Amino acid sequence: MVGITIDGQRLDVEPGSTILQAAQRLGIDIPTFCYLKRLPPLASCRMCLVEIEGLRRLQPSCATAVTDGMVVRTNTPLIDETRSSMLDMLLANHPLDCPICDKGGECELQDMVVAYGPRRSEFRDPKRVFHSRDIRLSPVIIMNVNRCIQCQRCVRMCEEVVGAVALGTVEKGMDTAVTGFEGSLASCDQCGNCVEVCPVGALMSFPYRYKARPWDLAETDTVCPHCGTGCQLTVGARKGEFMRVRSKEEHGVNRETLCVRGRFGLDFVESRDRIKRPMVRRDGALVPVSWEEAGDYLRRSLAAVENRAAGGLASARLPNEVLYQFQKLMRTVFRTNNLDCSSRWSAPFDAVGPLLASFYTRAPLQEVIDRDCVLVIGGNVTEENPVTEYLLRDAARRRQAGLLMLSARPSRLDADARLVVRVPPGGEAASLAAVVAGLLPSEALADIGETTGGEGPDRLVAALKEGRSVTLLVSVGLLRSPEARATMQQVNNLLRVLQLLGKEVALQFLFDRANQLGAWDMGVLPAALPGLRPVADEATRSALGRSWNAEIPSETGSDIDAMLDLCVDDRMGLLYIAGTDPLVAYPDRNFAKRALGAAGLLIVQDTFLTDTAGLADVVLPAAGYGEEAGTFTNNEGRVQKVRKFREPAFEARGNLEIFDFIAALRHQTLLPSSQAEIFEELTRLVPAYQGLTDDGLGSDGAFTTAIPTPPTGVFFAAPRPPSVHDGLVLVTGDGLFHNGYYSERSEILNTVAGDPYVELSTPDAARLDLSDGDLVVVRSARGELTAKLKINRSFPRGLVFVPENYRALHLNGLMRWGEYPCPVEVQRAPAISEIGSHAPAVGGKNFGQGMAGDSL
Amino acid sequence: MFEAVLLKNIDLPDGHLLATYEAGGGYQALAKVLREHTPDEVVELVKQSNLRGRGGAGFPTGMKWGFVPKHADKPKYLCCNADEGEPGTFKDRIIMERDPHQLVEGLAVSAYAIGAETAYVYVRGEYVKAIRRLERAIAEARGKGYLGAGVLGSDFNFTIHIHCGAGAYICGEETAMLESLEGRRAQPRLKPPFPAVAGLYASPTVINNVETLACVPHIVMRGPHWFRSIGPDKSPGPKLYCISGQVKKPGLYELPMGIPLRELVEDHAGGPLPGRRIKAVIPGGVSAPVIPRDGLDVGMDFDSLAAAGSMLGSAGVIVLDDSTCMVKVATRIIEFFHHESCGKCTPCREGLNWVVKVLRRIEAGEGAPGDLEQLDKLCKGIFGNTFCALGDGAAMGLRAALAHFRDEFVAHVEERRCPFH
Amino acid sequence: MSMREKIRQAAARYPDQRSAIMPALLIAQQEHGHLPGPILEEVADILGVERIWVYELATFYTLFHTEPIGRFHLQLCDNVSCMLCGSEALLKHLERALAIKTGETTPDLLFTLSTVECLGACEMAPVMQVADDYHGNLDIARIDALLARLRAEGAQAMSADVAAAAPPGE
Ligand SMILES: Cc1cc2nc3c(=O)[nH]c(=O)nc-3n(C[C@H](O)[C@H](O)[C@H](O)COP(=O)(O)O)c2cc1C
Ligand code: SF4
Ligand code: FES
Repeated sequence: MVGITIDGQRLDVEPGSTILQAAQRLGIDIPTFCYLKRLPPLASCRMCLVEIEGLRRLQPSCATAVTDGMVVRTNTPLIDETRSSMLDMLLANHPLDCPICDKGGECELQDMVVAYGPRRSEFRDPKRVFHSRDIRLSPVIIMNVNRCIQCQRCVRMCEEVVGAVALGTVEKGMDTAVTGFEGSLASCDQCGNCVEVCPVGALMSFPYRYKARPWDLAETDTVCPHCGTGCQLTVGARKGEFMRVRSKEEHGVNRETLCVRGRFGLDFVESRDRIKRPMVRRDGALVPVSWEEAGDYLRRSLAAVENRAAGGLASARLPNEVLYQFQKLMRTVFRTNNLDCSSRWSAPFDAVGPLLASFYTRAPLQEVIDRDCVLVIGGNVTEENPVTEYLLRDAARRRQAGLLMLSARPSRLDADARLVVRVPPGGEAASLAAVVAGLLPSEALADIGETTGGEGPDRLVAALKEGRSVTLLVSVGLLRSPEARATMQQVNNLLRVLQLLGKEVALQFLFDRANQLGAWDMGVLPAALPGLRPVADEATRSALGRSWNAEIPSETGSDIDAMLDLCVDDRMGLLYIAGTDPLVAYPDRNFAKRALGAAGLLIVQDTFLTDTAGLADVVLPAAGYGEEAGTFTNNEGRVQKVRKFREPAFEARGNLEIFDFIAALRHQTLLPSSQAEIFEELTRLVPAYQGLTDDGLGSDGAFTTAIPTPPTGVFFAAPRPPSVHDGLVLVTGDGLFHNGYYSERSEILNTVAGDPYVELSTPDAARLDLSDGDLVVVRSARGELTAKLKINRSFPRGLVFVPENYRALHLNGLMRWGEYPCPVEVQRAPAISEIGSHAPAVGGKNFGQGMAGDSL
Repeated sequence: MFEAVLLKNIDLPDGHLLATYEAGGGYQALAKVLREHTPDEVVELVKQSNLRGRGGAGFPTGMKWGFVPKHADKPKYLCCNADEGEPGTFKDRIIMERDPHQLVEGLAVSAYAIGAETAYVYVRGEYVKAIRRLERAIAEARGKGYLGAGVLGSDFNFTIHIHCGAGAYICGEETAMLESLEGRRAQPRLKPPFPAVAGLYASPTVINNVETLACVPHIVMRGPHWFRSIGPDKSPGPKLYCISGQVKKPGLYELPMGIPLRELVEDHAGGPLPGRRIKAVIPGGVSAPVIPRDGLDVGMDFDSLAAAGSMLGSAGVIVLDDSTCMVKVATRIIEFFHHESCGKCTPCREGLNWVVKVLRRIEAGEGAPGDLEQLDKLCKGIFGNTFCALGDGAAMGLRAALAHFRDEFVAHVEERRCPFH
Repeated sequence: MSMREKIRQAAARYPDQRSAIMPALLIAQQEHGHLPGPILEEVADILGVERIWVYELATFYTLFHTEPIGRFHLQLCDNVSCMLCGSEALLKHLERALAIKTGETTPDLLFTLSTVECLGACEMAPVMQVADDYHGNLDIARIDALLARLRAEGAQAMSADVAAAAPPGE
């Protein structure tokens, strides 16, 4: 430790700390502009200059390391004068158009001038003017260069944190301006982090522009509903109308950063695609009715299917309390374990359960990735969990974590990795098995069978051997494959081997649904009860049964696939779907359609009028995101409050209220039934949630704690190597701008996402004589689609990627259950045809303020 | 008569060719160090010589070399600062155009001393002729084994690359030069870490001026004591002076360090133009504060000029005579700094812009009461608070002009016109 | 050698491709006269670096031109030493002789007139750079002679261009 005295106060700090950090710990305020906590200092704004005893010149406190015995002063007349002088100079060319500036009222320059500024300025020459109209850099970002104070926070954020390298600085000296290539940000991530860090009104959010003044907004801190990273954000609404999203420097896993979905994709709450009133099917058509009429209809139809099977499917985007109550409803009122929480895959619980129980690390991501090695398996973290990716980049660049990537799909993060192993789609399990074999001493090999190594796995083995601590981050996309079980088993093997080698291991999943871990924890699974305890476990069943005052069926239920099979076999009486759209998401559209149509009674409870709702017998309007309170459990196992910022629209009711309504129709009551009481109950009955309190979920949430159970049994055998496929195979997943359900109802995301596309490697495109932007047809045994080609230089040969969640594309129409990746052919679309009838015209839509008056 | 060392070959018609250079004893220093000296001994020789950097700051060269870590797992680099952007300075250009082998040999000996195998010479892009001659010299030297793998049969490998600047004065600032070499906008870097520890590509890097490097072979051949015997002991050696402006014989002069400014201007450079009197001299490029006529007896070395409130800088001596308006000169100088400010830090970027606006107004006869006080205040806000020395140089120069020639500024404001027109 | 090959060769001097952006831009400008967007993209492509990095450098350094300039770029130094030796009068003369203002290009695209910061040749002030050459100790007579020579050279080069572009005659 080194000792420093600042303004007479003494403090001991870690060597390497800066004066600014020390001052902050003492509560001494030093003004800054260019300083960004998460990046190395720049020291260019010169606001933070301080006096150091023994030095002639003032020094930037943001960049000056404390030395032992240092005596610093931050409050002398010279410093006052200097700060005031810096501000004076900044204001000399600043337009001072605060009354019409979006930032007015929350501008750091404004605040600084009030605190330290010149009382009056002598500047009387004409001001520099870069342009008279703001520059529309992208559909969501607009720039007023005249207001820029050159702190470079935006550019550094874009390059060093986000990794997009879209913004830059052009010209020099007084002409210096921040902009994109040739003055455009049209092809950037549109994450808007540049807007967030801008201290003044230079970079602005276009959708929010001129919409409100900060003091008119009611702000609510909540959690992003888009992916499992679980970023904290602040929603600004005016009279219940959604206005904007901001993020706060101090809070959450994200600490100020968000991705495009979090920052700009919350306008889906204003989507017109709402279910306004309950609807029932009469004479083949859905007709709006009152809640009472819906109740009557339901009472009759529920009775009619009473003796057949029941099943429930809920979205992993719903809050814990809703999910918990849903499984309780299904298990106690409908006496079934037929439950699932994904429409896209079913988790092989026999493999996933033990993996989670032994290894899942419920701890801050920041800690989990601060290891010698971080191995990211599968998926494309850049597009699926962008903010997680920012942290990984930071770990790789500034914290010496050795980043290792093993996946079929390339991602931008590859550039920061120490090692990238590209595997054939569906080949993850086999590659992992090879890594396991490489790490194991050879005599143990007999146990798990032969594996073929290969250069990639061998290098991975070498890298893993070097580290003392290893973290695995596993993309949930791996569950899509028929090899999911084997993949999870090999992940388990790998962790066990690493542990045997004396390494400290950690595991987290990279979920793409905001509350996927919560959904699992809440037991919305056919084989697991709340707390991820097997249904087969008598003790748990009876304990829960006692609390719920009901008997829980003892046999394992059906997952989504089996439930749809039940439907098709005409054995499913009630299928109850809450908040999810299997017709769009299930990887076999034809089959899903047939099954949903064959259910005895299909209830869809949702906020939006989904394709699935179109097939339902009863449609119940539910409160949407932001309309009911609850909690989410993110990938880190952190429980955070999702807050309400407006009332349910139209006749929608809270999800919990609807469950009560259904239970009552069966003459039962679900107790407790309020969100707060349910939360309280689950903190008693779900072990990992024990000890959590509502108050304890402060601004940063609180961590669930699971006590790891030691792995049991022998190693899992290596899987068969994947059948080699010479042709093209289709994999799918989230794109940056679209990750389903919510994103496709965001007008802003639709605008920036543009048209759906097909990604292909350079050699494949060359072989097929295709070039970038060509319209191509992707054809499988089941169907075909037409979209624009995007050649990806880092794609491996043979891989075709089409993003999910362009509803109108009917991507799942190409797929057959159990066959993933899906073999396809790609060819140029016939020149003149009715193509495009398929492709929705989502690009180029206008929204918010018109473009008039802004040059793009 | 002082014996020219650095400019020995300058007037020879084929001074730029290897044969000429060799005929005058060229590359013997390189052969000598490879044969007789360890790298540490070369560093020691240079330390003993008291050679101080000729690029402007006058930092002791041997000491700078000494900061390079002995054992680093990264390659080390030598960078030659040939960006020569300081107005009034042209010495490095003339060396490169007319005696480029002197620099090549200096580079090789210096690289050997610090353990670098690669050197980048950052030459300003305008110096096309210098670049061509240097390229040719490098090729010739490589052909003779003075460069390349196993220089002169030793185990010392050495390659020189030329990197062309593209017109930005700030690239002369050593850390901005490193940024520029790494393909970024040339803006100065934070120190520490110092380049000697983490410079180019985060590797240990020494940056030296052309003239500094050119001195090194002579120190090797004639010994450090010879070097120290010329001029003041703390600031010794033969020195190149660039003389320009309103003087009879502008040009490049090699004379001892410490020679009185008056002697330099009035004797060697022939004094003022006919019918004129010297009004003031800027002794070290436009970053150096102006010295009025009665201060010309100062010695031209780092310490004496600093004591006199100016600096030796690049030894670009600009002579101003009594027909010249000081406000105009000051304005032009500030315009230069304003134009060349890299834009990184607030006081330099914004402050100089403000200063330029006020000065232009004053010069145009549109000054107002309070303007001069405003300039004083701005200088105070800029000086000492900028990120690099560019802003300081600008503020210092203006302060000196305001101090020594305040009456001219006042006259402009009061008479609302330039008295020289 | 193609531009791509020249750039690749220059890039070999550096351990990091980003370092080669400046030399690559100099090469590209030699080939194309100036640096419009598509050329910047091509440079980024050849080096495999971010486009914005290339754009940043193309605008930071004064020797790079993102807009077209005339065949002869007259760059008159007007820094202190040249100013003291009369560059102002020469500039006025040039503006008159070319009938353009500083910063402009003649309609025949022959000349662009600029003032530049110190060229590092103050011993021969006033100085002007045209293409690779420095012209020092200038006065009005020398400027006129230089302009006449350049005009002749330009006319010759232009007729050569026209001949090259014209279809082979009968
Ligand atoms: C704004 C600025 C411009 C500079 N320009 C040059 C220059 O053109 N040439 C040069 O050799 N040094 C220049 N320097 C000094 C260099 O930063 C550095 O001190 C020098 O190259 C070190 O070499 P030396 O020790 O051999 O003098 C400049 C410094 C500053 C602050
Ligand atoms: S003083 Fe500041 S703005 Fe000026 S050149 Fe140096 S770093 Fe750049
Ligand atoms: S915060 Fe320290 S210089 Fe900007």
